[in-house]
Amino acid sequence: MLEVRDLEAWYLQAQALWGVDLSVADGEVVCLVGPNGAGKSTLVKAIAGLHRSTRGTIAVDGVDVARVAAHRVGDHGVALVPEGRRVFARMSVHDNLVLGAYRRGARSGLDAGLARVHELFPRLAERSAQLAGSLSGGEQQMLAIGRALLAQPRLLLMDEPSLGLAPVVVDEVFDAIRTINADGVSVLLVEQDVERALEVSARGYVLAEGRIVASGSAAELTGSALVRRSVLGL
Amino acid sequence: MTTLQAALSGALVGGMFAVMAAGLSLTWGMLRVINLAHFGLILVGAYLTFELATSWGIDPILTIVLTVPLMFLVGAGLQWAFDRLGVEEFASLLVSFGLLIIVMQTVSNVWSADFQRMPGDVNPYATQSVSLGRFVFPAPTLIAFVFAVVIVVTADQVLRRTFAGRALRAFAEDRAVASAFGIDHRRLGMVLAGLSAASAAVAGMLFALGNAVTPSTPFEWIGVVFAVVILGGIGQVGGVLLAGVLVGTLSAVVSATWSPALSPLVLFSAIILALLFRPYGLLTVRGAR
Ligand SMILES: Nc1ncnc2c1ncn2[C@@H]1O[C@H](COP(=O)(O)OP(=O)(O)OP(=O)(O)O)[C@@H](O)[C@H]1O
Repeated sequence: MLEVRDLEAWYLQAQALWGVDLSVADGEVVCLVGPNGAGKSTLVKAIAGLHRSTRGTIAVDGVDVARVAAHRVGDHGVALVPEGRRVFARMSVHDNLVLGAYRRGARSGLDAGLARVHELFPRLAERSAQLAGSLSGGEQQMLAIGRALLAQPRLLLMDEPSLGLAPVVVDEVFDAIRTINADGVSVLLVEQDVERALEVSARGYVLAEGRIVASGSAAELTGSALVRRSVLGL
Repeated sequence: MTTLQAALSGALVGGMFAVMAAGLSLTWGMLRVINLAHFGLILVGAYLTFELATSWGIDPILTIVLTVPLMFLVGAGLQWAFDRLGVEEFASLLVSFGLLIIVMQTVSNVWSADFQRMPGDVNPYATQSVSLGRFVFPAPTLIAFVFAVVIVVTADQVLRRTFAGRALRAFAEDRAVASAFGIDHRRLGMVLAGLSAASAAVAGMLFALGNAVTPSTPFEWIGVVFAVVILGGIGQVGGVLLAGVLVGTLSAVVSATWSPALSPLVLFSAIILALLFRPYGLLTVRGAR
């Protein structure tokens, strides 16, 4: 599904990623953990086409999306749940979801997609006409996930979906990740909550200071001293 | 009675301000370009209507069949250039002011600095009026108002209900995320700027229908039209019609009951006052922005 090779990324002169290799197989949930400022968001944004100052390859089913126009990356099956949700606050919940299906390949699936998202998050159906900016943080997160699902991705990139949410809502978000994955969508999950992330993931990567410092199955990483040190600072 | 007549006439005149303001408001709100050249396009639109009607004998209203597509291309081309050159919001103010001056000078070179007005035989609308009950309205202002309603309602519905409309609103809020959902800002921006310029062609026609033009006429529009844009809420096309009607009514009433000379003073005092209470425009609820 996703094959990142030797990826470097810059913010002007400052390098943020060094030689990152990472892959996500079809139908897999993979988590990416690491301390603040490690470059997790940069990596996710690079895959989604939002950070273009990179070198290396980002192959999605064999196509290097780093060389595809930013607005075309979605056509290769990638959708993003951005850090901080970034829903369109002045648009209604419904319009946010419809916008998710903007790319040509996704429009025919709009009605089915809306039904699926409403089933996954009934609260979005209740709040359909409300402005997204007036939703609670948890509802906005659900909306950000729903919007991405309407793009009909095969690979969903989720950047810290549990950040700042109440524990009950975090449960809901992780349940949703399981359901989405059961529908056949691969997920790359960036998370601060390492234990929860490893629970839903098959494999994981640890990123620190712009480099992958560890990777392995969820079970291996759960017991790893390195993960504790680099992520939890223990 | 005369005050009421003045108020209603003013409201209709406000329709023309709304047509002038609609495109400006949308490109400012959505594309972050403050396009003073928009006034130059309105001016050219007015002169083209004048020229096509007087030299070719085309019905002045029908001239938009030619000027609208032409202006669409000009507007799209300008946006392409703004985009390529990476002109930012405030730089766009300066650049487009320069363009406006160039356009005004060019118009002056082509058509001279004198007032131009379509003669009665090519412009039958100028002298007609329509009476509704006890009130009488000049045909040009009534026509302008009808165009204003059609343009504003159409634009509003497109923004609300179509994929392209939602894409524009999304793009105005968060360009990066919008692009992740497949929105090609270059193409969409050119289409919007083209439509905005097309509306300038219509505004120019509407102005020429009832007024004489000179190359410096845009300076008479800028103040009022900017007031309408800001009062209506930048990027809010529905607000433009409401603000246009209010501004038109207020200035007409002040002119009729007090003095035409005082009208700008009262108008802009009222606008400043309104913006103190509604800083993001009449229709924008606090916090929704
Ligand atoms: N817009 C920017 N301009 C300059 N440097 C940036 C920018 N965004 C991020 N960086 C730098 O790049 C590095 C990686 O940041 P990134 O946001 O990817 O980290 P992260 O692991 O996602 O952290 P967090 O969990 O806090 O979001 C950091 O050193 C950060 O300071």
